[in-house]
Amino acid sequence: MELVCLGLNHRSAPVEVREQFAVLSSQLGERASKLRELPGIEETVVVSTCNRTEFYLAGECGDEAVRSIRSVIGEVASEHWYEKRRLEAARHLCEVASGLDSMVLGETEIFGQIKEAYRLAHAAGATSGVLNRLFQRAFGVGKKIRTETSIQEGATSVAGSAVELAEKIFGKLKGCRVIVIGAGEMSRQTAQALVSRGASSVFVTNRSFDRAEELAEEMGGRAVHFDEWQGVLAGVDVVISSTSAPHPVVMPFHVEAVRRVRKYRPLFLIDIAVPRDIDPAVGEIEEVYLYDIDTLEQLAAEARSRRERQIEECKRLIEEELAKLNLPGT
Amino acid sequence: MGGGVDRWFLILAALFTAFGGVMGMLTLKHGRRSRWTLAWMALGFVCLSGFLWVRGEARGACPLVGSGEILAFLAWSLTLFYLVIGPTYRLSLLGVFSAPLVTAFLVGALAPGMWVNDPQRVEGTNGWQETHSAMSVLGYGGLALAAVAAVMFLVLDKQLKDHHLTSGLFRNLPPIRELLISIRRLLWAGWLVMSVGIVAGFRMPHGQDVHLHLLAALGVWLGYALLIGVAQFRGLAGRHLSIGAVGLFIVSLSVFVFI
Repeated sequence: MELVCLGLNHRSAPVEVREQFAVLSSQLGERASKLRELPGIEETVVVSTCNRTEFYLAGECGDEAVRSIRSVIGEVASEHWYEKRRLEAARHLCEVASGLDSMVLGETEIFGQIKEAYRLAHAAGATSGVLNRLFQRAFGVGKKIRTETSIQEGATSVAGSAVELAEKIFGKLKGCRVIVIGAGEMSRQTAQALVSRGASSVFVTNRSFDRAEELAEEMGGRAVHFDEWQGVLAGVDVVISSTSAPHPVVMPFHVEAVRRVRKYRPLFLIDIAVPRDIDPAVGEIEEVYLYDIDTLEQLAAEARSRRERQIEECKRLIEEELAKLNLPGT
Repeated sequence: MGGGVDRWFLILAALFTAFGGVMGMLTLKHGRRSRWTLAWMALGFVCLSGFLWVRGEARGACPLVGSGEILAFLAWSLTLFYLVIGPTYRLSLLGVFSAPLVTAFLVGALAPGMWVNDPQRVEGTNGWQETHSAMSVLGYGGLALAAVAAVMFLVLDKQLKDHHLTSGLFRNLPPIRELLISIRRLLWAGWLVMSVGIVAGFRMPHGQDVHLHLLAALGVWLGYALLIGVAQFRGLAGRHLSIGAVGLFIVSLSVFVFI
C-alpha cells in the first residue's frame, strides 16, 4: 500500500483556482466514497477548507491512484497541485492538523475541519487500515503540539489581541456589554470577535445614524444616536472607538462622570482610530485599561513572531511521533 | 507526646510549602502553570494538621498558646482557605502566591523565642475562650488569603496598565474580574468567621491584658467592616480594594502584639 496526498492550498493556488475545487462540507463523505470507486484507490479522505482542498489516498500503486484523481480534476490549473507520497504525505497531514501549514500559523480551526472530514469519510466507508491509523496518529500529534508547544498562543490580529485582553480583564465574556463608537470596518471586526466569544449586548453609535443601525443590526445590537453615547457608558464593560474625528472623542470627564454609577467596575477601552479617539489621560483612571492600535498591533506581531519561533520545535515533535510508529503506506 | 514530633511536623510543613512555592515560581518563569503547587500545599496542610493535633493533645485545649502556635494555626487556616478556594475558582496561582506567606509564618513559628519546646497543659479551659481563639485565627486565615489575592490583583493591574503583557506570570494570572470576586468573597468569609470570634471574645472571662487585645481585634474588625461595606454599597476601584485588603491585614497582625 502506498499513501498519497494530492492538494492545493493558499500558497500554491490563488482563490480563483481554489474555489473551483472546493467541496461543500456536507458532500465530503460522499465525494470520498465516489473517489474510492476509481481504479487504484482503496481509501480516501477529502479535506476542503477555504484555504485548501486535499485528497488523501491509499492504494496498492501510488502512480495509479494519482492518475485516477488527475483524470477527475482534469488538466485545469494542474501546476497548482502538489503531490506528496508516503512519509512526506504523513508528515504533511500532521503539519496541516497542527496548523503549521495554515495561513494564520498555529490556528486551531483546521484541526476540527480535518477531524470532520475524516469522520465523514469514515462514515461513508471510504477509509480503512491505512488512513484510519494515519489520521488517528495525526490527531494525536496535533493535540501534543498544542499542549507541548506555544504554537497557538497569543492572538495574531488586532481584533484577536483585543479579545484576549478583554478575557484577561473579564474572564468569560458572556454577559459583557460593548459600545462601538464609529462604525468602521476595524471596529466591526473587533466587536464581532468579542460577540463570537460571548459578549451579549452591543451598542453602536456613529455620526451617520443609518450606518450605526446597519452595524447594530448585523451584530444583533442597538444603535444609539451620537449625542447619546455618554448615557450608555455607565452600563458597558468595553468601549471600541474608531471614528474619523480629528480630535479625541472620549475624554476623562466622560468616564469620571459615570465612575460612581459604575461602582468603579473595570472598563476596557480599545482605541483603534488614527488620530486617536480616546484621550490618553483616560487611561490614568484607576479602573480603566486603555489600549490603542499601536499596542494591539505590537501584541499581534509579537504573537506571530513567537509562533514562528516554535515551528522547528513542532517539526521535531512531528518527526519524533512519526518515527515511533511504522505507519502503513509510508 | 510533644517530644519533637510536633517540631518535625512544622519543619516538614515549612519545607513542603517552600518547595511548592519555589517550584511554582520556576514553572511560572517558563510560562507554564504548576500542576503540583496544590499537592505540595496539601502535604503542608497535612503536616500542619499533624502539628496542631499533637499540640492539642499536649495542651488539652485548642493549641493557641503563644505566638508560635498562633502563627502555625494562622498558616493552617490560610492553607485551608486556599485548598477550598483555589481549586473551586481555578485560582491555581493563588498557591504560588500563598506558599511564601505560609512558609514565612512557619519559619516565624519555629524561630527562637516563638517556639515552645515543652507545651504545658492548659488548666481551666473555657468554651468561649476556645471559640474566640480558634475562630479569630481561622478568620485571619481567610483575610490573609484575601491579601494574597489582592497582591495578585495589584501585579496584574500594574501589568495591564503598563502594557507589560509577555511574561509567564501575566499569562497565568487569573482575570481581573475573577480576582476581584475572590477578594470580596474571602473578605466576607474571613470577616464573618472573625465576627464569631469577636462575639465569643466578649463572652469569655476577662483579664486586663485580654481586654486590650480584644479592643485591638475590634478595631481590626471595624476596619474590615468599613472596607467591605464601602466596596459593597458605594463601590471601590479594584486597586483601592486591594490596597485596603493588604494594608488592613498587615495592620491586623498588630493584634497579636497584645496577646
